[in-house]
Amino acid sequence: MLKYVVRRIFQMIPVFLGVTLILFVLRIPGLLPGDPIQLIVGEKPLTPALRAQIEEKNHLNEPVHIQYAYYVSGIAQGDLGESYQKGRPVTDILFDKFPNTFRLALAGIIVEIVIGISAGIISAIRQYSFWDVLVTLSTSILVSVPVFWLGLLLQMFFGIRLKEWTGGAVFLPISGMGNPPDFVHLVLPAITLASVSTAYVARIMRSQMLEAMGQDYIRTAMAKGLTERAVVFKHALKNALIPVVTYIGIDLGVLMSGAILTETVFSWPGVGREIYLAVMQRDWPVVMGGVIVIVLIVMFINLLVDISYALLDPRIRYGGAAE
Amino acid sequence: MALLEVTNLKTHFTTRDGVVRAVDGVTFEVKEGHTLAIVGESGSGKSVTALSLMRLIPDPPGKIVDGRITFRGESVLGMNDSAVRSMRGDRIAMIFQDSMTSLNPVFRVGYQIGEALRIHKGMTRKEAHARAVEMLDLVGIPNPAQRARDYPHQFSGGMRQRAMIAMALACDPDILIADEPTTALDVTIQAQILELMIELQQRQGTAIIMITHDLGVVADMANDVMVMYAGKQVEYGKADEVFYRPLHPYTWGLLASLPRHDVDEKGTLLPIEGQPPSLIDVPPGCAFHPRCPYAQERCKREIPELREAAPAHLTACHFAGQAGFGQGAAGKGEGVA
Amino acid sequence: MSARRRKPGFPPDADPDSPKAAYRGGPDGEQTGGSSDYVGDDLANRPERTLWGDAWIRLRKNKLAIIGLVWILIVVTLTLSADFWVPQNFASPTSTDAGSLEAPSAVHPFGTDRIGRDVFSRVVYGARVSLAVGVLAVGISLVIGLLMGALSGYYGGLVDTLVMRTADIFFAFPYTLFAIALLAVLGPSYHNVFIAIGILGWPSVARVFRSSILSVKENEYVDAARAMGASDQRIIFRHIMPNAVAPIIVYGTMSIGGAIIAEAALSFLGMGVQPPTPSWGAMLSEAKALMVAAPWLTIWPGFAILTTVLAFVLMGDGLRDALDVKMKD
Repeated sequence: MLKYVVRRIFQMIPVFLGVTLILFVLRIPGLLPGDPIQLIVGEKPLTPALRAQIEEKNHLNEPVHIQYAYYVSGIAQGDLGESYQKGRPVTDILFDKFPNTFRLALAGIIVEIVIGISAGIISAIRQYSFWDVLVTLSTSILVSVPVFWLGLLLQMFFGIRLKEWTGGAVFLPISGMGNPPDFVHLVLPAITLASVSTAYVARIMRSQMLEAMGQDYIRTAMAKGLTERAVVFKHALKNALIPVVTYIGIDLGVLMSGAILTETVFSWPGVGREIYLAVMQRDWPVVMGGVIVIVLIVMFINLLVDISYALLDPRIRYGGAAE
Repeated sequence: MALLEVTNLKTHFTTRDGVVRAVDGVTFEVKEGHTLAIVGESGSGKSVTALSLMRLIPDPPGKIVDGRITFRGESVLGMNDSAVRSMRGDRIAMIFQDSMTSLNPVFRVGYQIGEALRIHKGMTRKEAHARAVEMLDLVGIPNPAQRARDYPHQFSGGMRQRAMIAMALACDPDILIADEPTTALDVTIQAQILELMIELQQRQGTAIIMITHDLGVVADMANDVMVMYAGKQVEYGKADEVFYRPLHPYTWGLLASLPRHDVDEKGTLLPIEGQPPSLIDVPPGCAFHPRCPYAQERCKREIPELREAAPAHLTACHFAGQAGFGQGAAGKGEGVA
Repeated sequence: MSARRRKPGFPPDADPDSPKAAYRGGPDGEQTGGSSDYVGDDLANRPERTLWGDAWIRLRKNKLAIIGLVWILIVVTLTLSADFWVPQNFASPTSTDAGSLEAPSAVHPFGTDRIGRDVFSRVVYGARVSLAVGVLAVGISLVIGLLMGALSGYYGGLVDTLVMRTADIFFAFPYTLFAIALLAVLGPSYHNVFIAIGILGWPSVARVFRSSILSVKENEYVDAARAMGASDQRIIFRHIMPNAVAPIIVYGTMSIGGAIIAEAALSFLGMGVQPPTPSWGAMLSEAKALMVAAPWLTIWPGFAILTTVLAFVLMGDGLRDALDVKMKD
């Protein structure tokens, strides 16, 4: 098991370096709009002395590969550079915003688990019923919905119209996290973010349940005198959940990296929105730092999911047959 | 009164293509501590018969449409759900052909064996586990305490089948139904498993219903034999009778196609010509007539009744028991003397 | 009470007249046994069927897929012919009576936007951008992806590792962020949008194609061809590709839907198609601030995206079922 983990980590390293390389290449002066030195300086007048000083500090005079080395070693030490716009270290900015994105993603996962898994189970138990048809159709439809449009619609309906209809009494907030951050503000953004994934979870849960319920061991369990409920929820479910749990695990990373659209629509102060604003303002260190952080987190989550899968399925955890 | 009495059982399945008459009128009984062998090709209805006894027929599409099943005097078909569930696993237990797929891969073997004990005998986890270890020992698995904590995929094929037997016998049922328990196993292991079953039967007094297509298996174990074809019962009687004085042409075919090591002829295997019929579109008259070398006009029109053609030996053939039937009259259809 | 053991089988007999002999076909032993229900003759008379013909027949039966196909055809026809029938000029305010932010009416079925443009015409013209980007982006992904996948799958070894590692790097990036970064470098515009989406899409295509090739490569007929002296290139094109193509067709169709959504998202964020070219995503961006005052601005472009993408998804689903050789009827 330990060997497996170590091996996986070794595989991840070149990929991570590749990511940094691509980001670095993008940052080469001339490629991205805006003179980086000018951007750093901002409004202040740019004297040659100042320019020289900045170039020195940022190693801009060195050959490209040296710059890259500085860049990577910086990352290894946790230094992602300084924001052009704000002058603060990128790491500070990101760590400020990162918990917000994590909260949102976590809320999304909870939605997925609660709605997705139950919908999938009900759909499988009552195959071909109205509920089943609903689940199957809605998965196709949800996949085709642009997430940000869904967010807009939810805002429009639950935020604004609902408020009108109930004379301001009942509504869901549509912007920001609340001050202090509260649960109500999480509802709409979380649903928006998780919508497509929930559809997938329901679909996978359904097909896994159907497959499990068609297995021979179900017949054996019935032959032992178990109730139908015990058979479905103990014997079938435990088998069906394994792939679903792995999917949800991976989805945590997906949600975190994909939150940018939802955060923009709902003005949610998270990492995604921060990166987006930085792009608009040409604040490249923030952009690149943000991408690196997200990539690292997603890789880490995927590794955890891999390990947990091996732990969950006894066929993998304990090897083959013994005499 | 016998332990289990089945009268005119009919189980049909309603499918898109028509009604599948999987079991179409079988009558038999199982006595305390005895072994009944149900023999037939794939699709003859033997497994469906067994599942019907436990009321494990999925509805839809299947349904027991006729007949009576009486267990210890009580009507099985009349039981409510709760009574059926308490019967299953406790007084009638079943083991299946494929032990790998019949055991749940994500639960430990000891847990699965103990499950019936927890449900039917009210044991605690610990008690059930201890008893499961005992059962594993009983079926001859070495290191049972260790093994009980293993998962099914960690067992070899033969051991898994033993574990299934342990699971079935945990509550000391009156009847053990074994659906092709050795078909998927190596020949040497087959023999071991059968030995085990015989031994356990002697020790615990369990009646066994052995379902198989392999007459060799039956020869060692059965008190009574029932031969099935196309959902119908074609022969039924004591094992010796059916083996040494078979009455039905299908049984003759089955016996003739047995590989024999004491035959000094060229000894080619003689499978019966043709295929088993579709159970939706059963041939008219005697279902076996398309493949029967002795078929006559009457066989194509009239369904033969199950009758006692010899003492305590029933068969469903128009000509069974008639003098000279099956001897020298092959193929000519000149009437049987 | 177990039965005593006995030897299996019929009592020994060398009697040629025994029933056993009947089955052997002894001296008199022709079988009289009944009818021969042999179905074989039927098979020879069946009409000729090819894989594609088969698939087309199955696809026709799938109602949802046909609805998808029909809808796409409708959209394509409407948008390509738009110049001929769209009454209002989409790029500038209409001539006389239209004011800004008018609610939907007979004259303006989808209402007008802030500067008086007819939303309906903008939606129709917007289809051009979406469809073009969808098809072109997927085209680029396919070209790069098929090539990489083919090299990777066929040659294996170091080539395979290199290509797959590169794909991994692409997969590691969060999609939207990477697209934004690319567009920041390339500069937001109509052309760069489909280039960016195309570039981001190749790894998935390569992966799918590679696994297709790997499974086909194992097949014997490739060995047979090689034994006949066929060159690598010939093997790839004539033998492997036709069989590996089916999953690609399915994937490609469904990716068009994904590309359309990606373009909409990028335009929504301002990184895609620039005004005044109408793009559904950009229209939604404008609509956000006016959500209260003019809900039609939000509803209709989004609905257009939904239906178009759904059509591709349904068609993709239908194609997958139709081309699945394992699902014989």
